[in-house]
Amino acid sequence: MSRIQIESASKRFGEVTAVDRICLDIEHGEFLVLLGPSGCGKSTLLRAIAGLTPLTEGRIRLADRDITNIPPRDRDLAMVFQSYALYPHLSVERNIGFPLRARRRSRAEIQQQVRDVAEILDLTELLARRPRELSGGQRQRVALGRALVRDPGAFLMDEPLSNLDARLRTATRSELTELHRRLRSTFVYVTHDQVEAMTMATRIALLDHGRLEQVGSPTEVYDQPASTFVAGFLGAPPMNLLDAQLVSRAGRLHAVAPGVDMPLDIAADLPTREVVLGVRPEHLSLTGANPVLHGVVRLVENLGSEEVAHLVVGDTRVCLRGQRPLSLAVGDAVGLHSAPRHAHLFDRASGRRLVWRDDHAQVPTAPAELDLPAS
Amino acid sequence: MFVEVVAPAPGSPPPRAARPPLGRRVVAGAQPYLYLAPALALLGVWTYRPLAQTVQLSFYSWNLLPSTPMTPVGLRNYQRLIDLPDLGQAAVRTVVVIVGLLPFSVVIPVLVGLVTRQVRDRARVVYQAMVFAPTLVAPVASAAVWQWLLDPGAGVVNKVLGTRLNWLHETGSAQFAIIVITGWSVLGFATLVVSAGLAGINGDYGEAAQLDGASRGQITRWITLPLLSPTLVFLVLMTVLLSAQWTFPLIDTLTQGGPARATTNVYYLLWDYSFHSYDAGLGAAAGVLLFAAFGLVAAGLVRLSERLSFHDD
Ligand SMILES: Nc1ncnc2c1ncn2[C@@H]1O[C@H](COP(=O)(O)OP(=O)(O)OP(=O)(O)O)[C@@H](O)[C@H]1O
Ligand SMILES: [Mg+2]
Repeated sequence: MSRIQIESASKRFGEVTAVDRICLDIEHGEFLVLLGPSGCGKSTLLRAIAGLTPLTEGRIRLADRDITNIPPRDRDLAMVFQSYALYPHLSVERNIGFPLRARRRSRAEIQQQVRDVAEILDLTELLARRPRELSGGQRQRVALGRALVRDPGAFLMDEPLSNLDARLRTATRSELTELHRRLRSTFVYVTHDQVEAMTMATRIALLDHGRLEQVGSPTEVYDQPASTFVAGFLGAPPMNLLDAQLVSRAGRLHAVAPGVDMPLDIAADLPTREVVLGVRPEHLSLTGANPVLHGVVRLVENLGSEEVAHLVVGDTRVCLRGQRPLSLAVGDAVGLHSAPRHAHLFDRASGRRLVWRDDHAQVPTAPAELDLPAS
Repeated sequence: MFVEVVAPAPGSPPPRAARPPLGRRVVAGAQPYLYLAPALALLGVWTYRPLAQTVQLSFYSWNLLPSTPMTPVGLRNYQRLIDLPDLGQAAVRTVVVIVGLLPFSVVIPVLVGLVTRQVRDRARVVYQAMVFAPTLVAPVASAAVWQWLLDPGAGVVNKVLGTRLNWLHETGSAQFAIIVITGWSVLGFATLVVSAGLAGINGDYGEAAQLDGASRGQITRWITLPLLSPTLVFLVLMTVLLSAQWTFPLIDTLTQGGPARATTNVYYLLWDYSFHSYDAGLGAAAGVLLFAAFGLVAAGLVRLSERLSFHDD
């Protein structure tokens, strides 16, 4: 069992707080992806788990053992570096066998296990080569082999696919998922690529400025983003975010702004409130009864199977994504339709998601989410 | 009716621009060689011409006086070198000097470099300046200082060690003193070279090895030293080829090759033949042999260093 618990971990480099009081409980067998923009502290957190960067504050536990002050070599973790860090003077065979050699296993045992791993990763032909004689994809597999060979408690990976070309990345992605399924071991995987995160993760932890923004399954973080940051990070193009006012009209709530009038299908009478309205580009359409947004087309992009239209609504840029052809031309004034269930609301000041809770029904919500006070 | 989609038509090559006139092309082609010319000229005048003249001189007998003619003697100078015991003895002493200097130029610098890897920022600059300082002292000046220190009567060395040795005038200790003093001045330079070599090793390897479960000693033996080996070969090469030259100013100032030739290495012998014994032909012949021998050693070591560099990418 290799559950990893991160308890209020912080790391400061002088003035910079790279990791800010992060709490994460990674269950055994999870594929947890640390996702976030460049400089948000993903690598620092991963290196702290590995023991390469000591924490300023907080604690890390592996399988219920406090490993905060244990040196990396005694942590029973394997890491794949972004640069792969293959030892340049050793053959592929010796690279993969290195962890076993460091543990003073017998020569025959090392050879046997290296052969087994090479078999799995299709590296048998390459065992005699030096790293510089390998292609990027082969190096990546050797790095993976070095991690696999000793059956570690957990795998740590820092953007292991970022040096591969797009096709190889797609192929390796599914190989990694397959590997995780077979090993049933814990993976902590750092990336800034949301496609990698969405396709591989069992859970995604989104970081921004060293803080945890949301933790959840790919479906949860995509369908119920906990903050405007998450909403604006995931999706291509990401969710449209419009500053709006929440008003009650004839006992029903609407989000309104210049060019915007979105009914929310909630019966309530509330004082006016400043919010951010979010709608995903694929949830906007050009057909329907009552348009909720009015905008002018500024640009149409052809993605092959789909088209993305960029419009201006009020003074905000809004994207619409739909099947080709959208039959839109630059300068067209159009009305956009969407169902109330596709509307996401966020508090204007804090940026946190707002969820509606009926006064009478007992609807449990995640503790981090703010409740919308009902009248 | 089906009509095949036509592939984009290949273009016909546009007319080629007229070539510039011959004169301009010659000037343009000669340009890089013109930039190289001064360096090549100096190399020719100061290195290759004297080398050729040395080879030529080794077949003559001459006492360096412009008024006496040079007499051709064929291979007689080489014959004399082989017959005299001097060259063989000097070669053995040269090997002793080289082996004696290796701890100062390789072993101690590696140990110091490994230990001081953790020293950072300003402390690092200060420590490097201190280690490097002896290398900057002019050899003749340091020779004068060491002469005082090693003085048999009032010298500090004898006082500290409680000995009464006449360091520079006893056959046993003179060579030892020369080696230690040269080593002292080379140490700083070698340590800087090792530090630079260590700094050039990507830190990811050490971190990866830590996570792979390697201990510090294992990382040093299996990762750091192998990756440092091109630097080490370079230092060995420098020591082998230059030891005799490094010791020369000290020998010339302190012992003049004595006592009883105990500090006469091949370079000093060469100098002795030509400029003390005024036997220019013999000196030149010794120089030619040395050049050939060191050339072979250098070629071997360069081959080795190429085998050992791993193109870390
Ligand atoms: N050794 C260091 N000294 C000072 N600041 C550092 C150090 N390492 C990281 N930082 C800072 O900490 C922050 C987080 O860095 P980190 O490398 O964890 O980012 P990241 O999320 O991995 O980014 P990327 O996707 O670009 O790799 C950055 O602002 C960075 O400048
Ligand atoms: Mg990073």
